[in-house]
Amino acid sequence: MSDPAVKLKGLTKTYGEGALAFEALKGIDLEVARGEFLMLVGPSGSGKTTLLSILGCVLAPTRGEGFLFSEPLHGRKERELPELRLSYIGFIFQGHNLLPALTAEQNVAFPLELRGYSHRAALAEAREVLGAVGLEDKLTSHPDALSGGQRQRVSVARAIAGRPPLILADEPTASLDAQTGAQVTTLLKDLSTERGHTVIVVTHDSRIFHLADRTVHIEDGRLVPPPVKE
Amino acid sequence: MSAKVAIAEPIRGRAGAVGRWRTLGAIGIKMMFFDRLKLAGTLFGVVFAVVLGNFQMGTFLALLSKNRMFVEAQTDVDLWVTPPGTRQFQGGKPLNDSHLNRARALEGVAWAEPLVLQTAQLTLPNGGREPVSLVGTRAPRFAGGPWNVVKGEREALLTPGGVFFEDAEREKFGGLNYGSVRELGGRKVQVVGFTWGLLPFAPAYAFAEQTLAREIVQLPADQHTFIMVGVQPGADPVAVRAALQAELPDTRVMTRAEYLHEILVYIVTGTQIGLSFGTSTFMGLLVGLITVALSMFSSVVDNLRAFGTLKAIGSTTADLARLLLVQALIYGLVGSLMGLGMVAAMVSGMRNPQLTPILPMAAFGITVVLMVGVCLAASVLALLRVRKLEPAMVFR
Repeated sequence: MSDPAVKLKGLTKTYGEGALAFEALKGIDLEVARGEFLMLVGPSGSGKTTLLSILGCVLAPTRGEGFLFSEPLHGRKERELPELRLSYIGFIFQGHNLLPALTAEQNVAFPLELRGYSHRAALAEAREVLGAVGLEDKLTSHPDALSGGQRQRVSVARAIAGRPPLILADEPTASLDAQTGAQVTTLLKDLSTERGHTVIVVTHDSRIFHLADRTVHIEDGRLVPPPVKE
Repeated sequence: MSAKVAIAEPIRGRAGAVGRWRTLGAIGIKMMFFDRLKLAGTLFGVVFAVVLGNFQMGTFLALLSKNRMFVEAQTDVDLWVTPPGTRQFQGGKPLNDSHLNRARALEGVAWAEPLVLQTAQLTLPNGGREPVSLVGTRAPRFAGGPWNVVKGEREALLTPGGVFFEDAEREKFGGLNYGSVRELGGRKVQVVGFTWGLLPFAPAYAFAEQTLAREIVQLPADQHTFIMVGVQPGADPVAVRAALQAELPDTRVMTRAEYLHEILVYIVTGTQIGLSFGTSTFMGLLVGLITVALSMFSSVVDNLRAFGTLKAIGSTTADLARLLLVQALIYGLVGSLMGLGMVAAMVSGMRNPQLTPILPMAAFGITVVLMVGVCLAASVLALLRVRKLEPAMVFR
C-alpha cells in the first residue's frame, strides 16, 4: 500500500503572538488516500481556509507534521515552497483568479511553462484540457468575455493541466448558481477520476456533498464528526 | 475513489532561467498592453522626460557651441595667446607687437598671426544701428577668417571695404545683399560674402581684412585682441605652449583643446547656465522616474490578486521581478524611442541658426540607456510590493 497523498499529524497553526495569539488549527490529524475526492466542510472561521493554505504550501504550520506524497511540509524554508506547489498542486480558487490579460489557453499554459514545458507543448496541453472541460471554442477568449461558469471551467483546466497529483479547490461553486456549480464540480470529479488526481475541495455548499468520496468536517480548528441529521 | 486509473505523479520538470524570463516577460508585456490607459500614462511620463531632458541638453550644447564655435573652427591654430584671466572667447586688455614678435621668435613656432575682435556698429538704411562682432583677419593666411562660407571667396576680403556678413541676419541688417554697401563703424563697406550660422552668444560675426577692421574699430596696428599660433610639424603643442607661457608671462597661453575646455568649464561653473540646464534636465529625469515608479506600483496594487495567483501557482519573487523588469525595460525602450522621435522631428522643424538644440548621435544612445536605467530603478517600488505579497492571500 503506497503512502497517502496527504498525512497530517497534530497540525497546529497560530496567528499572532502573546495576548493577541489566535489558534486557527488545533491539532489536525488527517489522511487523504491517493486518488480520493475529499470535501472539507465547515462554517466560516472554522479553519478550513487555513488548512487549505497549509496543504497548498502557501502557509507554514506552527506545530505538528504534514506530508504531501511523503514529502514533509513542516520545517520547510519559504523559498522551497514554490517548488512544492509546482510539483504537486493544481489550484482552483473561489474567484477563479484567472489573469485578465491572458486568454483562456494562455492562462492554462503558463503554469506548464514554469514546469518546463516548451511554449508550444504548453499550448497544446492547454488546448487539450480546455477541450476536456468543454471550452474548445473559447481558447482565445479573455476572462472578461467568459461567463462565471466558463471562467471556473478554465480554472479547472488550469488546475489539472500537466496532471499534478493533488488538486486543491477553494469554494469552487461559491460564485456560481446551483446548476453551474454542480456541473463544474461534477466535471472536476469526472476529470480527476479519469486522470488520477487526488482532490480536496473546501466548501460549505451542501448541494455538492454527494459527489465526494468522503466528507470531513472542521469546526473551531478541529476535525469533528459529521453533524447528525435530524 | 478510482482504483483502476494510474495515480498522477509529481511533476519534476522545471523551466530554466531563460524559460522563466520568457514566460514571465511575456505575461508582463500582456499585462502592460491589457491596461492601455496606464500604458499610455507611463509612456507619456517617459516621453516627457526624454523630450524635456534632450531639449535642455540640446539647448545647452547649442549655447556651448555658440561660445566655442570660433575656437573650434580654427583647426589649424595650435595655440592661443590671450589676455591674462581669459576664460571665454572675448577680448580683454589688448596684446601688443612685442607679444607677437616674441611668439614668432620662439623655437617650435611655425607662425603667429594677430587677430582683431571687437564690436562694431552697422548703420541700417533706416538710420538704425545693429552691432556685429567684427573679426579682423590677415592675408594671405586668413587665420581666424570666415568659415561656413555660403557666398563669396575669402580673398574677396582684399577688395577695398570688403566685409563678410552673416546670411541669417540679412533681414535684421536691413536687407543685405551681395554687393550691398553699408556704413560700419563710420566706414563705408561693401558686402563681398556671406557666412551661415556664425551667431555666437553675442552679435553675429562679420569679417574684414585686418587693416580695415582696425580702421573700423579704431585699434592701433600694434595692438591685438588675440595672437594665434601654429607649431612646427612634429613639435609638441603642449611643450611649445609651456615655453610660450614662460616667454609671455603677462598673457594666458592655451592649446586649442585647453581653450575649448576652459570655455566649457566657465559656462558650467562660472555662469548660471550649467546649473539652470542641469536642474531642468534632472527634473525631467525625476519626473520620468516618479511617473514610471508610481505607474508600475499602482499597476501592481491594481493587480495584487493576479500577482498573488502567480505566486500561489509556483512563481517565485524572482519570477515576478523578471516580469516587472521586462515591463520596465519596455517602458524605457519604447518611451525613449518615441521621445527621441519627437525630439528629432521638433529639432528638424526648427532648423535655424539662432538657437537650435544640438543633438549629437551619442545623445540618442545615452538617452535610451539612461531611460532604461531610470525605468529599471523605478520598478524597485513595485518589486518591494510584490516581495511582500503573501501567496496565501488568494485564499482569503
